[in-house]
Amino acid sequence: MKTINFAIDLGTTNSLIAKYDDGNIKIYNNPLGLKQTLPSCIAFRGNRTVIGDKALDYLEKDAENICMLFKRKMGTQDTYFVPSIAKEMSSIELSSLILKELKNFVNDEDTLNSVVITIPASFDTIQSNATKKAGYMAGFKEVVLLQEPIAACLAFANSSKLDVTDKQNWIVYDFGGGTFDVALVEVNDRELKVTDNLGDNYLGGADFDNLIVEKLIVPFIEEKLGLTNLWKDLKSKTSSFKGLYFELLKIAEEAKKELSHYDETEIELDIDINGENFYEQLLVKRDEFEALISPKVEQTITFIQDVIKNNQLLNSQIERVILIGGSTYVPLIKRRIADAIGVEVNSTIDPTSAVVHGAAYYAGSKPATVSEVVKKEEELTEADAIGFKLFYEQNTRDLEELITGKVNASEVHSFRIMRKDGGYDSGVKQLTEATFSEFVPLLEGRLNQFKIQLLSAALDVLKVIDTVAINQGSYNVQGQPLPNDICMEVDDLDASATRLEKVFAKGSILPLKKKIYKTASKTILRQSDSNLIINIIEGKSKGLPSSGLSIGYIEISGNELEEDLIKGTDIEIEIEVTESRDLKINVFLQSCDQEFENVFSESERSISINKINMEINTILGDVEALIRDTNSEENFEYSHQLETIRVGLIETQIAASLITEDDVSDAKFQLDDKKRKLIQDFDDLTRNKLIAQEIEEYNDTKSSLEYHLNKEENERFQDKYKRIINNEKEVINSGNKYLIRSKIKELDELYDSIIQSSDENFISYFLHMKFVTEFSNQRKAEKLLKQGDDALEKKDYTSLRHIVYGLSALLPDYEKEKQKKFKDNSRTGLG
Amino acid sequence: MTEIINQVFALDLKMKKDNNASANRYLDRIYHEFETMGFQIVNPIGQAYRNEMTDVEANVVGDLSRKSKITKVLKPVIYQIENNETKLLQKGIVIVE
Repeated sequence: MKTINFAIDLGTTNSLIAKYDDGNIKIYNNPLGLKQTLPSCIAFRGNRTVIGDKALDYLEKDAENICMLFKRKMGTQDTYFVPSIAKEMSSIELSSLILKELKNFVNDEDTLNSVVITIPASFDTIQSNATKKAGYMAGFKEVVLLQEPIAACLAFANSSKLDVTDKQNWIVYDFGGGTFDVALVEVNDRELKVTDNLGDNYLGGADFDNLIVEKLIVPFIEEKLGLTNLWKDLKSKTSSFKGLYFELLKIAEEAKKELSHYDETEIELDIDINGENFYEQLLVKRDEFEALISPKVEQTITFIQDVIKNNQLLNSQIERVILIGGSTYVPLIKRRIADAIGVEVNSTIDPTSAVVHGAAYYAGSKPATVSEVVKKEEELTEADAIGFKLFYEQNTRDLEELITGKVNASEVHSFRIMRKDGGYDSGVKQLTEATFSEFVPLLEGRLNQFKIQLLSAALDVLKVIDTVAINQGSYNVQGQPLPNDICMEVDDLDASATRLEKVFAKGSILPLKKKIYKTASKTILRQSDSNLIINIIEGKSKGLPSSGLSIGYIEISGNELEEDLIKGTDIEIEIEVTESRDLKINVFLQSCDQEFENVFSESERSISINKINMEINTILGDVEALIRDTNSEENFEYSHQLETIRVGLIETQIAASLITEDDVSDAKFQLDDKKRKLIQDFDDLTRNKLIAQEIEEYNDTKSSLEYHLNKEENERFQDKYKRIINNEKEVINSGNKYLIRSKIKELDELYDSIIQSSDENFISYFLHMKFVTEFSNQRKAEKLLKQGDDALEKKDYTSLRHIVYGLSALLPDYEKEKQKKFKDNSRTGLG
Repeated sequence: MTEIINQVFALDLKMKKDNNASANRYLDRIYHEFETMGFQIVNPIGQAYRNEMTDVEANVVGDLSRKSKITKVLKPVIYQIENNETKLLQKGIVIVE
């Protein structure tokens, strides 16, 4: 059986839409805002129609073309004349526009044919029928009405899993932003029925905000500044206090919310009055606030008492009062009702969404009578038949772009463009001669995606174009692109080497500027000879640092420091490449509070002989080690290529030792070039091999990890595992061994924590240890192995775990050896 | 998180108002951290205001026209970037004159 499932709270000031889905209620968010609510307000601006939040913008300027609160006129012959479109609009038509907008909240894949719409308890038959008509006009095939207080009771009963067996009377107290309603509901084991209701259409929470401004904030300002008549001036259109009234209302609203949770709040006023800055704090206690709003609250209490009295009931015959509407967050209300009526006051349900929540429960149990099968196919062909052409710039540096479209279908009357991140909505606009063009604002540095709707004259969506995307900032035909990556050399302590970190990617458009935050990886004492090295390199970011061209090199030595540079403190490096390719580096050392600035032009490279030597030394070690390996593998061609590189490096080194640091000839540069070429060759020769090794290790680590993850007791580690391998593809395809390495490290850490979560996992470790031949202390190791055998026999796995720890400590440490070789003077000092 | 961003933003405004630039470096750093965490913070001050901007909640003073500008920003616009998808996290609260 198919049920209706969808429900709409068509409110006087705000509306919502929700869906019942297998026992759960989903309230849809406005795709253009962050709220679930849509203000029931429409602005007509000539050929543009704006619905919701943004319609409120025109309230002051263009009130006659704004329609709101039209629910109050539902079912009457009153219409709204809208000058800007020279048309009479009925409440039914206006409500249908709100309903259509709410349909937009729902994902496109859902078809909405049947819906439950809520109405106030006070609606008569004509008003109810008018609401139904609005529903049909909005395109629904089936509309079922439900009274709002009943919906609230359903929401309460369902969320508290209440079982009512005998007859009870409940009161639904609905205090919204602008209206107040109270309803008496009869509940028994079979049904819910509204027996009576009362209300005030001009009483709401907005009154509280106004009171705070009028009675607390304004007198405070007046007293401090010696002003009079400020309250009147604030509200006057012609006064000089432009904007201040709204600002104060916002502040008051915040204070109201605070006071719902705390006993007091400090209102911070930082405003401009008559061109002067006014900065003061005003402490407001909850008592003061409550005294202020008390008369309004008492009005609502009187309504409750009247409704009880009118129905010949006693307070004691009321089982509970259910609070809904945003204003019921104020604690005074709950307290006063409990005092006055003496019953349980329930505020457990969310006051803003309770009605739509309850209505969705109802929709989930109500069978739908219209089927949807045939219609769907028809619509599909209709939408496909609409032809259109779009013109727009796909890449831009401007913050605004023009989207132009031409439509070849006479039934398309209007269009609407929305930015998918929710930051822009054109509103519904009419086509002019079957075309539209619209300037859309763009979010800086992002891919801005748009959704374009084509609509009929009745504002039904005929087609959705989902493919428009404009890239802001990353491209510009006029600008000059970078020919190579620009990178910075940083320490890689895990690998005991330095590596390149990409600052700007190849193809980025000049000028470029970026701040990079690093931490010092070593301590440099004041007056010491130790160095901090900032080396900016142009070249492949995946390559070795020494294979790139150094385009900016700064050494900051301990002699230049005013304070010690402490390991772990922040180093801020700002790197800028101008349009004429000048490189500016600005370094700020936090722990010394010192700034260093250097400008390099590409034509004057600065090269340090010291640095060349150092780099050659490091690479030479690697080359020689690799030659040894390949010789043993009898891969002679490969080792011959390596040998050529080795000889070249040694020759360069000898040549370098013959020049002094202050040599003015271009010998330095020649050497540097030679060195780079050799290292690049080495890099090319080995990179693929290394990466393949890393990938292999990654896969090995993964499969051994998965073996453990598949065990039932390790299920809790699954989430973390999924998080780690989430971007696996990108990492593997990056060809960057450091990235792959860091992934392996993450997997290793997870592996360790799985293993350590159970003592029994140490058995296999121990068995593995028995095959190790080389321990740093053989005698001690043998003793431990014996103890381990005993523990294994006794199934004492906790002891076994400690024995394994002991044995691991006796393993020779290859890493430590390598780290020792990574001497201070070969490090940049940047972690 | 939005509340933390709002407080930093308020602090930034306050310092600027007092012409105090001594902490700019630290504020920049904080904004940078927010960015790395995937938050894009936009201060639309001085921009021409269009009704189509659904990323701000505007309190319009007087008449809305082509010349209307955002003259005060009480809360910044915050976007969140997740899996390369941008989403509006907080609408800016602004005064338009």
